[in-house]
Amino acid sequence: MFINFVLSAFGAMEEENVCSIYANQVDLGVEKDDVGVRGDRGRRFWMDISINIYLIQLVHGLVYGMLIFLVASGLTLVFGMMGVLNIAHAAFYMLGAYFAYTVAVYLGNFWLSFLLSPLIVAFLAILIERFLLRKTYKAGHLPELLLTFGFFYIFVELVIIIWGSNPLPVPVPALLAGDVPFMGKTYPIYRLFILGFSCVILLGMALVLMRTQIGIIIRAAVSDADMVDVLGHNVPVVFLGVFGGGAALAALAGVIAAPFLSTYPGMGMDMLLDCFVVIVIGGLGSLWGALVAALMIGALQSLGILWIPQLALVFQFLLMAVVLIARPTGLFGEKE
Amino acid sequence: MSRYGAFQIGGGGVAAVLLLFPIILPEIKIHLAIEILIFALLAVSFNLLLGYGGMLAFGHAAPFGVGAYAAALSCNHLPGMPLLVTLLIAALSGFVGALFIGFFCVRLKGAYFALITLAFQMFLFAAALKWRSVTRGDDGMGVVRPELYLPGLGSISLMNIHNLYYLTLVLVVVGIVACYLFLRTPLGNAVMCMRENDVRASFLGYDVFLTKLTVFSFAGLLAGLAGGLFVLFQEFVATTAIDVNRSFAALLMTVIGGTGHFLGPVLGAIFYTVFQDWISSLTKHWILFVGILFVIVVMYLEGGLISLLKWERIRVWVSGQKE
Amino acid sequence: MVILKLDDLFKDFSGLEVLFGVSLEIIEGECHAIIGPNGAGKSTLFNIITGIYKPTRGRIFFLDKDITSWPAHKIARMGLSRSFQIINNFPRMTVFENVRNAIVSRFQRRFDWTSFLNRSKEITRESDHMVNLLGLTEVRNIPASELSYGMQRKLELALTLARDPVLILLDEPTAGLNAEETRIFVELIKQVTEGKTLVMVEHDMEVVFNLADRITVLNYGEVLATGTPNEIRENEGVKKAYLGRR
Repeated sequence: MFINFVLSAFGAMEEENVCSIYANQVDLGVEKDDVGVRGDRGRRFWMDISINIYLIQLVHGLVYGMLIFLVASGLTLVFGMMGVLNIAHAAFYMLGAYFAYTVAVYLGNFWLSFLLSPLIVAFLAILIERFLLRKTYKAGHLPELLLTFGFFYIFVELVIIIWGSNPLPVPVPALLAGDVPFMGKTYPIYRLFILGFSCVILLGMALVLMRTQIGIIIRAAVSDADMVDVLGHNVPVVFLGVFGGGAALAALAGVIAAPFLSTYPGMGMDMLLDCFVVIVIGGLGSLWGALVAALMIGALQSLGILWIPQLALVFQFLLMAVVLIARPTGLFGEKE
Repeated sequence: MSRYGAFQIGGGGVAAVLLLFPIILPEIKIHLAIEILIFALLAVSFNLLLGYGGMLAFGHAAPFGVGAYAAALSCNHLPGMPLLVTLLIAALSGFVGALFIGFFCVRLKGAYFALITLAFQMFLFAAALKWRSVTRGDDGMGVVRPELYLPGLGSISLMNIHNLYYLTLVLVVVGIVACYLFLRTPLGNAVMCMRENDVRASFLGYDVFLTKLTVFSFAGLLAGLAGGLFVLFQEFVATTAIDVNRSFAALLMTVIGGTGHFLGPVLGAIFYTVFQDWISSLTKHWILFVGILFVIVVMYLEGGLISLLKWERIRVWVSGQKE
Repeated sequence: MVILKLDDLFKDFSGLEVLFGVSLEIIEGECHAIIGPNGAGKSTLFNIITGIYKPTRGRIFFLDKDITSWPAHKIARMGLSRSFQIINNFPRMTVFENVRNAIVSRFQRRFDWTSFLNRSKEITRESDHMVNLLGLTEVRNIPASELSYGMQRKLELALTLARDPVLILLDEPTAGLNAEETRIFVELIKQVTEGKTLVMVEHDMEVVFNLADRITVLNYGEVLATGTPNEIRENEGVKKAYLGRR
């Protein structure tokens, strides 16, 4: 009895975690007979699966991949600029989703959360950076890392306190509900919206970073913060901006993800692990790397389920380890 | 009252209390004490890497879990294996696992090192989760506590929780003392050089890779032993032994206790476990308070909780009593 | 006897070429200074010799062994010791402990896990000897990070010498010291490196002409001239390189 108690106390988060590893694999929109089960206990030969299923799974993977990218982009930029691995970043994503739930369910308007969630979360992030994180810069990278780590735990527990441990589904807004015909099957409009909206954000990011003054300063700061300081720009403000902006973006990703994945306390940890894999493979500090890696990982998770369900999860961490061994700076990172 | 004298009295007092626990404490608290001992060993091994080696590992659950599963598999599939050998297998599995992982990880530093250890640990977690035929996945495996056979004393049943307590106490103390002695050797000093300035150390002739690999493997050995003891205690092993929360729990405990002092992690383990036990009866959300305390420690109390204990005061108090 | 031989070293960092065919021989017992304007490649040269970088082309011979591709710790163990321009010690360890790290290495006990460090009389004695030799006795038990800059430079020298090396490389040993401190430090260097082979990178010409038996002038990654201080003083190419700049 005591043992169960201990297990559940220690595993309170883990239960959610385990469920959630499957959550992304659930609701694939794939039906049993598509996959050509041949009666030998679910083992599917890849040629039985029609090409349509592959494509649908691929799109599904790209959708999730774009979500990861939106979150990972902030994480990788902050690391590149400040050398801080902000573990709380995934918590911003989670908070964004939960705020979306509250706004959608209690205020009846999902679209409002597009505005409110990122704002609230960005505000929270800025408070943390300004008053707490900043103090740890002198002490070195370790206290910074530990601080963000502590906040991650605090946020997850706060979410459980306020919203409970059960998954809270967020209704898809009426405008985007329903399916469209796609490859002989139907595909949910909302997922296509996620894909489209993320691409729009991506374009927006690219425009800002490539074409605007502030964008150039940010890119310079990622490359060499000291130099930017010497050139007279207010580096702490730039940091604050990127930190807050990244948090807002993560929250926005959470908002979009909420109707798709529903909200659950383990979503922070899930996204954190996925983000880690993505920024390592893509290269710490590289946005392009994060994009490529995120799409790769999304596709890997979705397609992997079709082929060898056992290994899909395993493979992405193996890939992460391999990249760290062979090329620690990632696919696109800069050699130190 | 000499300093050495005070230390002896203090040490003797602690030893006496520890040995008397089964008599003075109710049975439920003995379970707690065993748990504390096991996590103290895990935290000390974690601090060997963090506080002494300067290496922050996010994946320290890996050797712990490997040791745990090794012990469970040994108990279930090798009947008749003496208990002490099973625990030795657990420790060695942790050692070998850490040796293998360390070979790839130890060349990296900082956040990269932290992440690659996490990658390996998550890989092992996923393997444990999916390899149901061997590990039974997240359902876990039950383990029956074997009897402990000691020459001269015969078979001792570990179903008696007092016996289990003493066994755990002895092994954990051995592990922690081994760690302490290790740090006082030239090799232990080399490990601390790695923390202070590994580049300079290499220019003095130290092989940074080998030194770090050695301490990583040794920490794995201790963590593996802790894992084996954990399985013995729980009579059960599941993927919770090797998941990311386990890794992070070790980090939480060690930092809260204090990374700068050898016994800091022990204090952290005591605090973490007792706090959880106490607070959980009041609220389900004990992790929130641990998280807040963690943040407070990181921001304002770099030495951890143990830095609040001023040894001077204790010494003075003890010598004051004597006079 | 030639202790160190650099054979036609080239180094380029992904397109940025820093060294062009540097060849040099260091003779046993001499004090050899390497001078040259900033950016001439002096630090890079040191980094290549001590194993941080590998040359793009060329070879390095130390005591007749080809050490071109050796890792830093292996080179150090052979008896090549180096000091750093930027303070590079073990910050939270005391002066004594800092020096002891080097002594432990000298006695090849880096991997010794069977004895207690502070019980080893030999190591303690040698470490104290080194501490006293460099005038650090007063600060023996102070953590390195709390020392004054001058003291830290002395510690830097101590760390370099503690291994009793065959060849000593000093990278701008007087950097950051004022004129008075520099004079004292130079005396100290002379004293403790008596009879040893020394290669020194320096900017302070007084120090160079005071200490050096031979000088090599490096300019834009190439050796301009090598010779005794007088020869260098008279050398036309050197004069142009230096005076042309003023």
